[in-house]
Amino acid sequence: MPDILRINQLSAGYGPLRVLHEIDFTVSEGERIGLVGLNGHGKTTLFRAITHMTGWQQGSIKLNGEEIGGTRSLGAGRRTAALVKKGIGVAPQGDAIFPGLSVRKHLECGAHTKSAWRNRRQRIEEVFEVFPPLRNLQHSLVGKLSGGERRMVSVGRMLMSDARLYLIDEPALGLAPKVSKRVMDALWALPVNGAMIIAEQNVSLLSGRADRILGMHAGRMRGDIGHVDLN
Amino acid sequence: MDLGLIVYALNLASIYALMALGISILWSSVGMINMAHGATFAASGYAAWIVTGALKPIIIAAFGKTTLATIIIASTLIGSAILAGALCGIIIYLLAFLPIHDKPNYPVRSLIITLALNIGAVQALLWYFGPRNRGLPKIFGFGRWEIWETKIRYDQAGVIIGASVVIIATLAWLRFSRRGLEVRAMMQNYEGAAYCGISRQSTALPVLMLTGALAGMAAALLSQTIFVSPTAGVIPLLKGLAIALLGGLGSVGGAVVGAILIGFIEAIVGAIPFLGQRYVYFAGFSFIILVLIFRPRGIGGLLDATRE
Repeated sequence: MPDILRINQLSAGYGPLRVLHEIDFTVSEGERIGLVGLNGHGKTTLFRAITHMTGWQQGSIKLNGEEIGGTRSLGAGRRTAALVKKGIGVAPQGDAIFPGLSVRKHLECGAHTKSAWRNRRQRIEEVFEVFPPLRNLQHSLVGKLSGGERRMVSVGRMLMSDARLYLIDEPALGLAPKVSKRVMDALWALPVNGAMIIAEQNVSLLSGRADRILGMHAGRMRGDIGHVDLN
Repeated sequence: MDLGLIVYALNLASIYALMALGISILWSSVGMINMAHGATFAASGYAAWIVTGALKPIIIAAFGKTTLATIIIASTLIGSAILAGALCGIIIYLLAFLPIHDKPNYPVRSLIITLALNIGAVQALLWYFGPRNRGLPKIFGFGRWEIWETKIRYDQAGVIIGASVVIIATLAWLRFSRRGLEVRAMMQNYEGAAYCGISRQSTALPVLMLTGALAGMAAALLSQTIFVSPTAGVIPLLKGLAIALLGGLGSVGGAVVGAILIGFIEAIVGAIPFLGQRYVYFAGFSFIILVLIFRPRGIGGLLDATRE
């Protein structure tokens, strides 16, 4: 299996604060990886470093064999859009939605590649298949939706392009258990044509379904922590 | 309130709306308060003056003093002003956006750079053209219509119609085109837009050109009422900024509503005998301050209730 993502000695942080400490890990094609760690231990920062959203970073990040990392102390977000176009789909923490756009317009925004934009109608239908509640909400403003619906929009937006690597940050955060279960079920049911990393604090939502579960602690990768049988 | 007052108010509102719209869109999508908007306004006026000055004799020689000639002169005037505005947008992009957009404190830096650009450009215009006012050809002609015993001057009607067309076209562009969708996404959530492959670098150039073109259009329209001078952009810039704040920075609808409100307040205060023109600015800015005390995010929050 070829590697989708290979991270080597990645450190990153904000200003004087170092959040990630020399992280190494590899994601192969077809893998669904769970990333587990407590609040404030670097899961989100790892995702942000992959998309160059952190304040500074150093170390190598290889996406499909192409180097996208490097050392940088300025320009947070400067390369993000270009990196996303290389095939990274992100469903960020807090959803980063556009409150004044309708669900449909939102999904259209996600279709940023040429082929995705051409087939956007069909792709929107596909997102509605994954998240049926969105079909009836397609013309309402996202700012007026509930937390669960917003999460579906955020994930749906990520699905609109041909991403090879999905980064999904705490998809169950702040949702009622029933809703979070529905979102997680939909995520695990997605066909993955590259790889997927789901960051989550709750191991039970990942256990038994992720191919590997990696642990993060204090900004360091703890390696494979294996599945936890909670039953 | 008689019709003449309404026409005068709408006339003011059109110019203000064109300026405020540009400032508001630019701030919310590119994150830049463009103090060089005033210089863009003045420079576009001069560009239109030069181009029409050079082409008018040729056009009249070719077509005589016909309606066709007037239409051609009108389109060269408006076209050259809009082009010059867009060109100023490109210059601002190269000088005040590209070098600093990924540096810390970018909004403040760009504010300072554009302010410097504004001062420099106004001084350059003053040095090159001198302080004399320049009159542009009257593209709407001299004359007036009489409707219900009120007289509407052609230039007033032309300004209102021209500005409305441009504003509606801008709003439609934002609403229906793909680039417009990207700009709106950028306005509402910078991070989310980045995750959708929309970068600030790629939206900044078209947005700066568009807002420059809006300032150019405002200059072309205002030149029908007021002469072109190097400092002509100062008042439109201040008014545009204040109205963009009043409407809620980033709210396109709010900017238009704010411009109409201020236009009417100024027209009415100017018409009240014991207040008169002296109190026009006082009343306008007092109203803006009053609104911002009670509604710090501006009136735009009323229009799109979801924006927070």
